[in-house]
Amino acid sequence: MPDTADAAPLIQAEGLVFTATAMAGPVPVLRGVDLSVGRGEAVGIVGPSGSGKTSLLMLLAGLERPSAGRLRVAGQDLGAMDEDGLARFRRDQVGIVFQAFHLIPTMTALENVAVPLEFAGRRDAFDRAAEALREVGLGHRLDHYPGQMSGGEQQRTALARAVVAEPRLLLADEPTGNLDRGTGTAVMDLLFGLRQRLGTTLLLITHDPLLAERCERQVRIEDGRIVSDAPSLRMAAE
Amino acid sequence: MLADIALGARLARRELRGGARGLRIVLLCLALGVAALAAVGTLRSATEAGLAADGARILGGDIEVEVPYRPMPAEARAWVAARGGALSEVVEMRGMAVAPGGERTLVELKAVDGAYPLYGELVLDPPDATLATRGDRHGVAVERAVAERLGVAPGTTLRIGDATFELRAVIATEPDRVASPAVLGPRAMILAEALPATGLIQPGSLVEYDYRIRVPAGESPRAFGAALQAAHGDGGWRVRYADQAAPGVNRFLDRAAAFLTLAGLSALLVGGIGVATGVRGWLDSRGRTIATLRCLGAPAGTILATYLIQVLVLAAVGIAIGLVAGFGLTWLAAQALAGTLPVPPRLGFYPAPLALAALYGLLTALAFALWPLGRAQRIPGAALFRDMVQAQPGWPSRGIIVANALAVAALVALVVGTAEQPAFAIGFCAGAAATLLLFRVGASALMWVARRLRHVRRPALRLGLANLHRPGAPTPVMLVALGIGLTTLAAVATIEGNLRRQITNELPDAAPSFFFIDIQSDQAAEFDRLARAQPGVQQVRRVPSLRAQIVAVNGVPSDQVQATEDTRWALRGDRGLTYAATPPEGARIVAGQWWPADYNGPPLVSFDARLARGWGLEVGGTLTVNVLGRDIDLRVASLRDIEYRNLSINYAMVASPGLLEAAPHTNIATIRAELPAESRVLRVLTDAFPNISGIRVRDALEAVAGLLERIGTALRATSSLTLLAGMLVLAGAVAAGQRRRVRDAVVLKTVGATRSQIRAAWLVEFGLLGLVAGLLAAAAGSAASWAVVRFVMRGEWAFLPGTLAVTVAGCVALTLALGYIGTALALRVRPAPLLRNE
Repeated sequence: MPDTADAAPLIQAEGLVFTATAMAGPVPVLRGVDLSVGRGEAVGIVGPSGSGKTSLLMLLAGLERPSAGRLRVAGQDLGAMDEDGLARFRRDQVGIVFQAFHLIPTMTALENVAVPLEFAGRRDAFDRAAEALREVGLGHRLDHYPGQMSGGEQQRTALARAVVAEPRLLLADEPTGNLDRGTGTAVMDLLFGLRQRLGTTLLLITHDPLLAERCERQVRIEDGRIVSDAPSLRMAAE
Repeated sequence: MLADIALGARLARRELRGGARGLRIVLLCLALGVAALAAVGTLRSATEAGLAADGARILGGDIEVEVPYRPMPAEARAWVAARGGALSEVVEMRGMAVAPGGERTLVELKAVDGAYPLYGELVLDPPDATLATRGDRHGVAVERAVAERLGVAPGTTLRIGDATFELRAVIATEPDRVASPAVLGPRAMILAEALPATGLIQPGSLVEYDYRIRVPAGESPRAFGAALQAAHGDGGWRVRYADQAAPGVNRFLDRAAAFLTLAGLSALLVGGIGVATGVRGWLDSRGRTIATLRCLGAPAGTILATYLIQVLVLAAVGIAIGLVAGFGLTWLAAQALAGTLPVPPRLGFYPAPLALAALYGLLTALAFALWPLGRAQRIPGAALFRDMVQAQPGWPSRGIIVANALAVAALVALVVGTAEQPAFAIGFCAGAAATLLLFRVGASALMWVARRLRHVRRPALRLGLANLHRPGAPTPVMLVALGIGLTTLAAVATIEGNLRRQITNELPDAAPSFFFIDIQSDQAAEFDRLARAQPGVQQVRRVPSLRAQIVAVNGVPSDQVQATEDTRWALRGDRGLTYAATPPEGARIVAGQWWPADYNGPPLVSFDARLARGWGLEVGGTLTVNVLGRDIDLRVASLRDIEYRNLSINYAMVASPGLLEAAPHTNIATIRAELPAESRVLRVLTDAFPNISGIRVRDALEAVAGLLERIGTALRATSSLTLLAGMLVLAGAVAAGQRRRVRDAVVLKTVGATRSQIRAAWLVEFGLLGLVAGLLAAAAGSAASWAVVRFVMRGEWAFLPGTLAVTVAGCVALTLALGYIGTALALRVRPAPLLRNE
């Protein structure tokens, strides 16, 4: 269902509950999260390990299903979609960057980046993928396999893959967690630059306070609940 | 070296404590191949033991003297009795058994005396039945097939020849019968005293007189037999002893065992590929441990010893499982093949075939595991500091290469050295190597093509192609493993199809409907007239028929003739002989000339050109034949190319008329009739001439086809093991790649791929793999079957597209099914847990 009212928030979560099933029994992860994120906003999600940050990201990407509550992203009710519907939703609306990159090791950089466009049936998939890789500074690595690239290069490839379809929502889960500080900073500069250029909404999960500061708004999650939701200090200062 | 081994053994023991999950495929592959070989070997030994132990029973005595066409002289019998030997006379011939309702069937008639059987026991059903004459009724017992075919039960009457018999029993066990295919007819047994009444014994009839002798205790059968022959024998006698009870059966066993062994070796070869890939995958998973050990100062020799010992331990377990399973399979096979095997096998423990199977297993394990072990030995300690620790690409050390080459050479030497036909075994090894190479090259070609097509636009197609050519793709191992299994199956199916086609489908239009034998000369004219008068009869051909034993070629006794392997058979036993003034219809004379129609000189012969080539006999040479006890020299006047396959009357030897005309002989006739008229023609002719037997060509061919079917089943079962081994390896390769497959599926779903798109990509991958494997297997299987049919069976080979299409389609279906299972399992995995940061 297309998003008709541009003024409506891109993410609307109400009373979001997520209970994971573990061997020892059900484990409550999110205990009623209300979150609204507007278009073009950049939100840093912070909180201690195990607080439910990644689960929230998985729910927003349609990779997990909420146990209770309502979740609308880009005007679509994720709870009403089947598995393939969710895959198409991600293809058209969402870009994700992981800490562990999650590139397909058997595909070259170019193929990794082109693959979402190919699934969308875009004829210019490879041209656009090459352009996206050049934009992240990897124009010389198009035919390299992930195993032949450094961690920073792999993450830049993953970034190019996340933005190549110009998604409305960009989700990033500790994108610099596996990188050294210098490389991490370079990757984040790229990420914020792309977001800026495309006007994409960004949800960034991070432990790094400096990184969270680069977002306009910071949401803090503890024990499955949002405990604070405020503009970042930098924004407040501005 | 010893220190390496001792330390390696300790390290190996510690590693094995944690289990050997990764080597399970090695264990299974070896077990399967060894089981096949152990089963074939044990079954063969058991059957041979059955033959050896029961030689006297199967022969019917310690000595058997076969006297063609006439009884043994009374003086000879008296000689046997005077020397304390027990004698039993058995007369065998063909006859027609006619039921009261007029149904009839050809039977192999056996007339026995009161001394029969000298060894073993004749078991009748009902057990108290007797064949003795009661009143004016003689008794007959028949094989169950006769009773079923004629729809009769004990108590009814049967006419054989001129005599009417009362059916007294069904033969449950005939002690001296080697289970042979009833091509000409099933058994009917009567007492010798009833034989004259049948009127079947006429001058020149195809009758065999067998005399079985039980020698007095303590006396050597061979000495007894030699003395008897010296005193009373003539050139026509054929004397056999208990250890020669069934030479034909031994040859059949040797051939069948050779084929089945090669099928088992194919399974082991595929198992070897499983060993190589299993060991490689297992060593990859041990890469980090190996690098750590190297960092801690382990020399390469210790690493090799550590892992070689583990492989050998697992191989030993696999071989042991294979031996036990093979032993069990023998029992199953003996049940399944009951009736096809010539004698009941003596199931038991035969160490020799089991040891041979174990040796094959060990050499296969070494031949296929040494290479990956040698490469793992070269993993440096520094590898620990890299992301991926894997065996280095490239060559192992020279020592390992030499050891590997020696293992392969020993394997080949064992295959060739233990084969009945070494040339065939060498062909098999060369064929196996060529097939391996073909599939390896085929895999490279497939990967090359897939790489060239990497820019195709359809994502599912491109993904599937990428999976085939990506670095580390298991395309070669999957293609080779599946391919060799399928090649074996395609070859066996094509060989069998070719044989079947030659026997049944290819029945020429001109083939006769019947052969009629034992037509007496004074019946010949009336037979021709009556046959031609029958509606539906299209052709009647008749020639005189004599039986002759070839005793010398160019003066050299036939047992000393240097004959080629494929023509030696004709020097043994009786051959048909006829005479004619003019060449047979359609004869192709390739050397010499036919005699003038009015020729009346010394006897000449026109001989089979192929046999002549095999014996080094040329026009002008001499064939000495024994006809009814008299040696006759025949000068070769011409050689003919004979096409036996058209089933018309063909004699290897056609003599000039004259001398042979005077010898007592019968006639043989072929009749071609329309199918609906066949039964009536048979009835009219055998009613009019009760001593004449009619053989329906269709029945005989069906009997041969039935035998072929049973042999084919055994062969197919053994080759299925090869395919099973191939599937194991394939399944192992799919399982080894499953982690990657699951990960790919998760990432693809994350970036927006639907399940059908992912499924389509993998169907492309597996479908192409199956298609290429199937096509190559069809080509390689055809080539192998061509070689076997052409050079081993000396038949004409035909391309069988239907059989091969089934192979290719089956292969595609099989790989798709395996791929589908792998894909379905991968798609069921929830993505989120795998995407979370570790």
